[in-house]
Amino acid sequence: MSAAPPPRVILEEPASAAQRLDFGWEVAVAPAAPIDRGWSSLGLAGLGLAVLLLGFSLLEAGNFVAAQFSQAAWLGWVTLAVAAAGFGLVFAAVGREMRGYLALGKVDAVRAAHARGDVVALRGALQDWQARLPEGRARAAGLADMPIDAACALVEATTLAPIARDAEALGRAAAIQAFAMTAVSPSPGLDVLVFSWRGIRLVRQVAALHGLRPGIAGTVALLRRVAMDAATVAATDVAVEAMLRGVLSSRIAEHVAGETAAGAVAARRMILLARAADEACRVLPRG
Amino acid sequence: MDPLSLIRGVLDTTEDAARALVGRERLRLAVTGLSRAGKTVFLTSLIANLVAAGRGARTLPALDEAVGGRIRRVQVVPAGTETVPRFDPEAHLGALAADPPHWPERTEDFSTLSIAIDVERRTSLGGLLPDRRVTLDLLDYPGEWLLDLPMLRQDYASWSAATLTRLRRGARAEVARDFLAFIDALPGDAAAEDALAKRGYTLYRDALRACRDEHGLRFLQPGRFLNPGPRGEAPLLWFFPLPEGARGGLASLCARRYAAYLDDQRSNFLDPFFTRFHRQVVLVDVLGALHAGQEAFEDTAEALAAVAAVVSGGNWLERLLGAAPTRVAFAATKADHVPSRARDSLAALVEHIALGARGRAEAGGAATSFHALAAIRCTEDAVATLEGQAFAAVRGILLNEGRGATIYPGEVPMRPPEPAFWQSGFFRMPEFRPPRLDPAGASGVPHLGMDGLLAWLLGDAL
Ligand SMILES: Nc1nc2c(ncn2[C@@H]2O[C@H](COP(=O)(O)OP(=O)(O)OP(=O)(O)O)[C@@H](O)[C@H]2O)c(=O)[nH]1
Ligand SMILES: [Mg+2]
Repeated sequence: MSAAPPPRVILEEPASAAQRLDFGWEVAVAPAAPIDRGWSSLGLAGLGLAVLLLGFSLLEAGNFVAAQFSQAAWLGWVTLAVAAAGFGLVFAAVGREMRGYLALGKVDAVRAAHARGDVVALRGALQDWQARLPEGRARAAGLADMPIDAACALVEATTLAPIARDAEALGRAAAIQAFAMTAVSPSPGLDVLVFSWRGIRLVRQVAALHGLRPGIAGTVALLRRVAMDAATVAATDVAVEAMLRGVLSSRIAEHVAGETAAGAVAARRMILLARAADEACRVLPRG
Repeated sequence: MDPLSLIRGVLDTTEDAARALVGRERLRLAVTGLSRAGKTVFLTSLIANLVAAGRGARTLPALDEAVGGRIRRVQVVPAGTETVPRFDPEAHLGALAADPPHWPERTEDFSTLSIAIDVERRTSLGGLLPDRRVTLDLLDYPGEWLLDLPMLRQDYASWSAATLTRLRRGARAEVARDFLAFIDALPGDAAAEDALAKRGYTLYRDALRACRDEHGLRFLQPGRFLNPGPRGEAPLLWFFPLPEGARGGLASLCARRYAAYLDDQRSNFLDPFFTRFHRQVVLVDVLGALHAGQEAFEDTAEALAAVAAVVSGGNWLERLLGAAPTRVAFAATKADHVPSRARDSLAALVEHIALGARGRAEAGGAATSFHALAAIRCTEDAVATLEGQAFAAVRGILLNEGRGATIYPGEVPMRPPEPAFWQSGFFRMPEFRPPRLDPAGASGVPHLGMDGLLAWLLGDAL
């Protein structure tokens, strides 16, 4: 047993300062990058179909314009103008869709920077986002030279909290409408239709508060997110309950509430929806 | 258990149950460790690595695996209106990352911090419900104070007798020579002179300090003599153990101050912080104790057992009320001081040094396990050539000199060593520079084995 020598410190020879050890820890623990699943085959097929449709109709239109020119110059010019206007509108719509869709992606980028604690990216992204907000919305000043947690808290207080309050107001208005509509509507089927339409409108209104103008694709993506966030906005949320009571205590509501429990449910869903939409669109997670 | 604490226990238990019902559990984690065991560094690393894990970094893989990757977010709970100072992991981390780096100073006061861990629910329907939030309550304090806990169950006479017996043995007798001579010369009926009380106190305190700093001993009471805390030395402290025969005014003054001291410690330390725990981790600097020699090693074991009797071993009523920890993990800290193949021995050795403490915990109905960990890993494996033979060693950068060094920590036995082992004499492990760290701690800090410990300790609660 006593074979082992006693403990010992062996100093390294060059007596100058040595580098601190580096285990490459940051790299070793970096979060696994989300697997990019790429395009689904359905998506690819859809894209191909769109390219075919658009491409062939462009070629067809080109041929047609050329044919018209060979008949008479004025006929050619008119045909060309019609084709250009038509395709211009189509491309403008596509462009708008893309932009709306991408803006939603930017929200994700800011949130990811926040979660990663990437100060530089977060600061830049917050400033970009502020620039995109609708006119008349209060913005935080001097974000560039402030500790990042202070900047986030300031953005929350000056911009995100008022937006949340406006979203709440929109939700209340929609709740009253939904309540009234279900109270007077003749058939439950119509209820669902009206309710869905009002819900989608509400979500888009809230998105607009956050500077997002989703097109059709954007709206679909947004609705998916809202559905996801609705799960986290607790159904038993006290705030929702309190607001609902506020809405229902208006005179008409009191009058009919007994008969239309469905109306109360619809109203409550609208309030929840406004909150979930706000949750889905905000650049910083709710504190 | 007096009626008041019984009522409080019932209330706390009700609150725990209510919190569990709405998915807002609160988990009190006791980090116990004698002075210099590594509590402050452990807490700093724990918080940095958990917060980083909440951001998706793979800093605690074993914990992640134990909870099936359900950790969503981890954040430090914002300050409320607490009167207790706040534990400041950013400041500690900043000092460790600075150039030149600093380890935390000796802790001199309490500080607390809570961290909130949001986890997805375990059930398949969990996706529809909001996340559960488990709040982990943490506490940092001077290690010396821990030994005041066993004193709460002793009166002045029995404490004096036990303390003096210990003081007349081994290395203590030598450094306490002046103090022992002083009390032996005191007449049994000495009057309540403050000059005498202060003199005795000073001699006794100096003896305790020498025991701690020169001999690595740990069973040193009272704790505030060694570490008076933010309020400094008050007249309350002017007492010392007296032999059985003493009956005079001085003896009763000492006894009064002893009782007042305990009252003070009870209301400031035990009652607010040490009455109710759900989980406990006992940190032990086993290697330091081993290197400090047989007496220090045995003394550490004895101190651990005495503390465990109060913290982990609840009586049946306390257990019923959930006031005693259900899981107690024993961990050898600074495992980076030995090469990786010796770490298992370190964990085995902690099992032996904590034998008494383990018995208390298990008698209290707690599950126990043993680990070796480094809260902040400061070394890499190396080979040392000694007398022509190669030995597994570690290499690190020395804290003060900034110079690289290979350290052979000696043989780490799996069980309490044989008498022959202690011949090699006292060895003091040098302090190392921490590795390169990100001062903001965005990706946690390099560690060894923290994740395994947390997986066992908290895995089932998340
Ligand atoms: N190499 C290494 N050294 C450590 C580690 N943890 C602690 N140490 C060393 O141990 C010393 C004491 O650690 P602390 O965390 O301050 O100890 P403590 O238990 O808080 O001590 P008190 O506050 O006096 O009760 C530090 O200054 C470090 O030198 C570790 O993981 N690795
Ligand atoms: Mg400390």
